[in-house]
Amino acid sequence: MGQKENDVVIRDLDKIYGNLLKEDTVALKGINLSIKKGEFVSIIGPSGCGKSTLLKIIGGLEKLSAGTIEYSDPENRLGFVFQDSVLLPWKNVRENAEFPLVIQKKQTKENEEKLDALLDLAGLKEFSSALPRELSGGMKSRVSIVRALSYDAPLLLMDEPFGALDALTRDHLNIELLKIWSKTNKTIIFVTHSIEEAVFLSDRVIVMATRPGRIREIVPIDLTRPRDEDSRNDSKFGEYCRYLREIIG
Amino acid sequence: MKNRSKLQKIASGIWEYTLSIGIFIAFWFVYVRFADVPAYILPSPGVVWISFVDLFRTGMVWPHLWTTSYEVLFGFFIGSLLGMILGYIFIKIDFLKVALMPYLIFLQTAPKIALVPLFVIWFGIGIVSKIVLIISMVIFPVLSGMMLGLDSIPADVRNLLKVLKANRWQVFSQVEIKYSLPALFSSLKIGIVQAVIGAIVAEWMSGKQGLGYILTYASSTYKISMLLAGIVLTILLGIATYEMVNIFENKLLYWHESKRNQE
Repeated sequence: MGQKENDVVIRDLDKIYGNLLKEDTVALKGINLSIKKGEFVSIIGPSGCGKSTLLKIIGGLEKLSAGTIEYSDPENRLGFVFQDSVLLPWKNVRENAEFPLVIQKKQTKENEEKLDALLDLAGLKEFSSALPRELSGGMKSRVSIVRALSYDAPLLLMDEPFGALDALTRDHLNIELLKIWSKTNKTIIFVTHSIEEAVFLSDRVIVMATRPGRIREIVPIDLTRPRDEDSRNDSKFGEYCRYLREIIG
Repeated sequence: MKNRSKLQKIASGIWEYTLSIGIFIAFWFVYVRFADVPAYILPSPGVVWISFVDLFRTGMVWPHLWTTSYEVLFGFFIGSLLGMILGYIFIKIDFLKVALMPYLIFLQTAPKIALVPLFVIWFGIGIVSKIVLIISMVIFPVLSGMMLGLDSIPADVRNLLKVLKANRWQVFSQVEIKYSLPALFSSLKIGIVQAVIGAIVAEWMSGKQGLGYILTYASSTYKISMLLAGIVLTILLGIATYEMVNIFENKLLYWHESKRNQE
């Protein structure tokens, strides 16, 4: 696999939290991972295995203790979708989605049109002027995804974005996310607790183990695309879920 | 439909307010009339009302009302501005917070009435000493509100700004100041009430102008009805300035959960 095909290459990454009174905590140990351009990768594992920490390190929100990360984009532009949708409560749906363009001073006509198309794709056009407090949890999640896609970041990092939603809304948003992903062709790294969600969405599932946080296995998901509700009834889907459940224990 | 229910709410609020004041005045009137209370102890509401109207009819109240209003608004503005700036600096520079906070707490806990003579010696009998006293009373609550507001910004909002590579000015103008508004307005409401108290206390202790001076004058000449009229006027000034802050709050915090029921 050549370097040019990859969007992110992580080599020998460690994350250690120093502690004055107790022993240092090793959150991540020896992480090696390459993520291809346009790939959809999920990270799953038990609580405390460091999956969110790994995502934050890739996103530049936490420092690594050892190792390197290489990005294909020299400017290291990325979008981040947090577990809570993190919408600014005084801005309406469109203004929240437009926020990155405002910060980066990229409110060109072309970008604004692209934003409107994304809002339409996410079913939010009619709610453009609604305030976050008027939205359901699912709609808030959609706004935060559109916000992360609104600017030209080739890499999208998602930290359990649907974790707080009910199962039905989550399933529905998974299908919408895949639709948006197929049209934008971004690289997505998606952290989740749900095995079914990881299998449904991903090209590869990275299974992490705890104490110290490390990669236990990388499972390629060979399900046909585009995926929809019926994909969950595929016998292979069930097999992948069972296998991953066994590994995680 | 929405406008109508809003109007109904306002009308019902005014009615409840009027009813409450009406019941209070009725009790006052009945008590003075039937308990045979002498006018030099507690005059009837009617006498106080005449005295109140006289303050305006003769025109003597205007320069005093102007002086107090000016002191309150100017002192409140400067005190709030300083409180906000210091609150921001204290959150950003821990060393300054540790070094300066004790002095501000001393200033806040010191009895203000004891500080007035000191301020008069330092800043003279004119308006400056009064403004300084008002600033000293406004600055602490506003500073605390600003610090609380800045501290309550969710970590992931700061992470979002980091991912977007926002500069310091964008962080402040786009997020920090707006997230601070709910806590800031709570403190500004305390601040404006403190400003009115500060102005009256300062005028009571020194000077020849202001509503506080009217109260001292009426008290020392045993004009009880004038004293009560002056107190009513002070309360009205307090309500008016408080409502000004309220109007700004409703305008700027339209998005806040607390305003949902007011729509």
